[in-house]
Amino acid sequence: MSSSPRPRSASDLILIAILVVTMGALIIGALATGFMDGMFPPEAVTRQGREIRSLYDIVFWIAAVIFVFVEVLIVYSVLRYRRKPGQDELPVQTHGHNVLEVIWTVVPTVIVAYLFVISLQTLNSIDAVAKSPDIHIRAVAQQFRWQFDYLAEDGVTTLFTEDVATSDQGGGMHVPVGANVQLQLTSPDVIHAFYVPKFLFKRDVVPGITNRFDFTIDPAEAGQTFRGQCAELCGTGHRVMLLDVVAMTPADYEAWKAAKIEQAGATPAPSASAGPVAVTLEETAAGIKFTTKSLEVTADQAFAIDFKNEDPASVPHDVDIRAADGSVLADQPTIDGGTATTYTYAALPAGTYTFICSVHPFPDMTGTLTVK
Amino acid sequence: MATTTLHPAAATYKSGLYEWLTTTDHKKIGIMYVVNSFIFFFIGGLLALGVRAELAQPGLQFLTDEHLYNQVFTMHATVMIFLFIIPMLAGFGNYIVPLQIGAPDMAFPRINAMSLWMLPLAGVILLSGFLLGGTAAAGWTSYPPLSEDRILASTGPGQDLWITALILIGTSSILGSINFLVTIFKMRAPGMTLFRMPIMVWTVLVTSVLVMMATPVITSALIMLFIDRNLGGHFFDPSTGGNAVLYQNVFWFYSHPAVYVMVLPAMGMISEILPTFSRKPLFGYKAFVFATAGIGALGFSVWAHHMFTTGAVFLPFFSLMTFLIAVPTGVKMFNWIFTLVRGQLTFSTPLLFALGFLSMFLIGGINGAFSASVPVDYALHDTYWVVAHLHYVLFGGSAFGVFAGLYYWFPKMTGRMLDETLGKIQFVLMFIGFNLTFFPMHVLGLQGMPRRIADYASGAGWNDLNLAATVGGFLIAASMLPFLWNVFVSLRSGKIAGDDPWEGNTLEWATSSPPPPYNFDRLPEIRSERPVFDQRHGHGAGGHK
Repeated sequence: MSSSPRPRSASDLILIAILVVTMGALIIGALATGFMDGMFPPEAVTRQGREIRSLYDIVFWIAAVIFVFVEVLIVYSVLRYRRKPGQDELPVQTHGHNVLEVIWTVVPTVIVAYLFVISLQTLNSIDAVAKSPDIHIRAVAQQFRWQFDYLAEDGVTTLFTEDVATSDQGGGMHVPVGANVQLQLTSPDVIHAFYVPKFLFKRDVVPGITNRFDFTIDPAEAGQTFRGQCAELCGTGHRVMLLDVVAMTPADYEAWKAAKIEQAGATPAPSASAGPVAVTLEETAAGIKFTTKSLEVTADQAFAIDFKNEDPASVPHDVDIRAADGSVLADQPTIDGGTATTYTYAALPAGTYTFICSVHPFPDMTGTLTVK
Repeated sequence: MATTTLHPAAATYKSGLYEWLTTTDHKKIGIMYVVNSFIFFFIGGLLALGVRAELAQPGLQFLTDEHLYNQVFTMHATVMIFLFIIPMLAGFGNYIVPLQIGAPDMAFPRINAMSLWMLPLAGVILLSGFLLGGTAAAGWTSYPPLSEDRILASTGPGQDLWITALILIGTSSILGSINFLVTIFKMRAPGMTLFRMPIMVWTVLVTSVLVMMATPVITSALIMLFIDRNLGGHFFDPSTGGNAVLYQNVFWFYSHPAVYVMVLPAMGMISEILPTFSRKPLFGYKAFVFATAGIGALGFSVWAHHMFTTGAVFLPFFSLMTFLIAVPTGVKMFNWIFTLVRGQLTFSTPLLFALGFLSMFLIGGINGAFSASVPVDYALHDTYWVVAHLHYVLFGGSAFGVFAGLYYWFPKMTGRMLDETLGKIQFVLMFIGFNLTFFPMHVLGLQGMPRRIADYASGAGWNDLNLAATVGGFLIAASMLPFLWNVFVSLRSGKIAGDDPWEGNTLEWATSSPPPPYNFDRLPEIRSERPVFDQRHGHGAGGHK
């Protein structure tokens, strides 16, 4: 049975007009209110990130066109073909259409083939690893901190180590803009992931494997700091595994590096400078908790803490002191589980401070140091 | 049809507890699968609300113990995937498949009962960790070495309970899949050729092949992890010569096909509902069957797209295959839409949920192309963008499909209709709540918010969108109230459904509601994929094209 094509009634035209106007209003509204900004990642700050961003934009706009097309088709069908009162006769029982099936198989295949090819091109460019990059850094990720070893040209020898990962604590991974930096990623414990949103990039840090990637920060970004953090669940402290990438001009970087190398060569003598100790307190860590949560010392007098770590050997702790604004006033080396040490601290002015384990900066490993 | 009393067969469903506990009737087992899955859906939902409550604003307010927070999201995902979506769809398959192929029961009724009863047992084992010093807390993926007895992650019994529960659920799935395959191949009524089977049956068939081939693989990974943890094995721990990425390969070899296990039967339900409420056959039946089989086959070659950032994957192959799997999915989408075109649509609640599936799964599906592009995935992987994507597939797709199926087949299961007004209220609340929860997560992910963090800095710029997502989450929870009320009142006093309240096409509508034991007193002639339509209107009615 063949049916004559339905005549387009006025109500159909009105329906289409309403749909077009509504979609237009939605799209203009989305553009005008900044909604669309949220659909894109931040502006990239590395050469590789910019390439990823260009690729993202292409993928996004193709996806957006397909989305709008199909969603409009759904909404149109729903509004247009609702059953009207008195419509008792069956509609034409269409079982399919081979030409249409071929069209909506071939066209999507062509689209995804195109997306695959441009993705592969970008991939080959951003995943390229230079044989002799300008700078070698090894990022060591462990529960729950980052450490950056700056390596010699051989990519093996450590020149010095930056073990404070964020800039608000005076650290961060410092790199010069415009240089091809190669980052090696290693983990002694579980899987982590190095992720800096403004790089539009992440790479897993897998124990047993050394992953590498190259990045070059745009020269215009000198002086900027980019926050990153661990992106692979690594345990209770996952969220505190923050890091900063500090972009510097090449000259500033060289000066920073020279100072760091000199510091690393000097004999560390922080405890000796603390002077005679007025009082020695006791603190114990067990089950990733400080057993004593508040300590008290006299103002302007050096003091010491006898610290016992009763956790398993693989769990290091320390007792650092931070000011109310979070800045680090005393940074002690960590000790492994099952060992003990005596930390000495320089005199502090009267006030309230926080003592904290830098490896596990949670409430359980944070206490109040009252100085009066 | 002015039926005023329930069919006499309904009396057999009022039988005692002992009868329900010992039954081998696929219909009762199917109903118990559905009820069991809903119980775990509500448990998983409460866990999700815990996560959303904590993330509503920066700072630790609600789940201040971060280890507990990790347990909560780990259990949320595990419960939702393994104890809600997969068994829920298996439950619908159990109920519907024998009816739709004109069979009296499943091929192995006792094994069927065993598959069911392993599930609540597994659920209790899994969640008992909360009372025994902590559940698993290493994420539903439980990547080693984090899951290898590591402090601040996986010490204590929780991880072993998780392994045990998953092995039990996996065994239940394998038994169920073999049962489905034998039932579908050996028990079809005369005339029910393969290409006259309802699409729902086809999707269960392909799903069962996936389950049967993939589940033993994850079981092997789980056993290896158990040996590592308890017997000094060294499969996955690099510090003793193991390989951490090996686990990921084996895990995703199952868990990616599992995504299709979680969505194909929901697609099958939609493919029953759209034709019924359009009064037209499914557009492109054979294309749809081939697309389903194609998704099943390609589904085995895309697992490593979950591992692009490990640096240990052959990227071009998995990228290409992941792009390609969009093609059969697109074919389905267009066939669904052209089923609506030139139909006569009645907007009953099942159709609303089915349309919700179409429009939301569309977003989840298109998002897949972003992850297929490796460099784009480098930016998006392990951020909230992925959380958004997977919920658009599994909630916007599977869960909307489940509710569509429930409103559609509830009259068959109970003999009574669910209330349409309450159903529409539920749909509207759920649709808005869903989008309010999960759409902002795309933006959060693009801005760099990683998954699985208990807290975020107030200066990170993520406050407003997280609050929106939390409000949306509670709106989804609110949408369950009219649903529960609906089920409660409809079971007592819902409108009597009669055999065929929707003018359905397939054989389940040719028997009473609820069907008698062994399902059919007599079968209509099967001359197409729509025997009940043919019986109602005559074979070839309405013209062919």
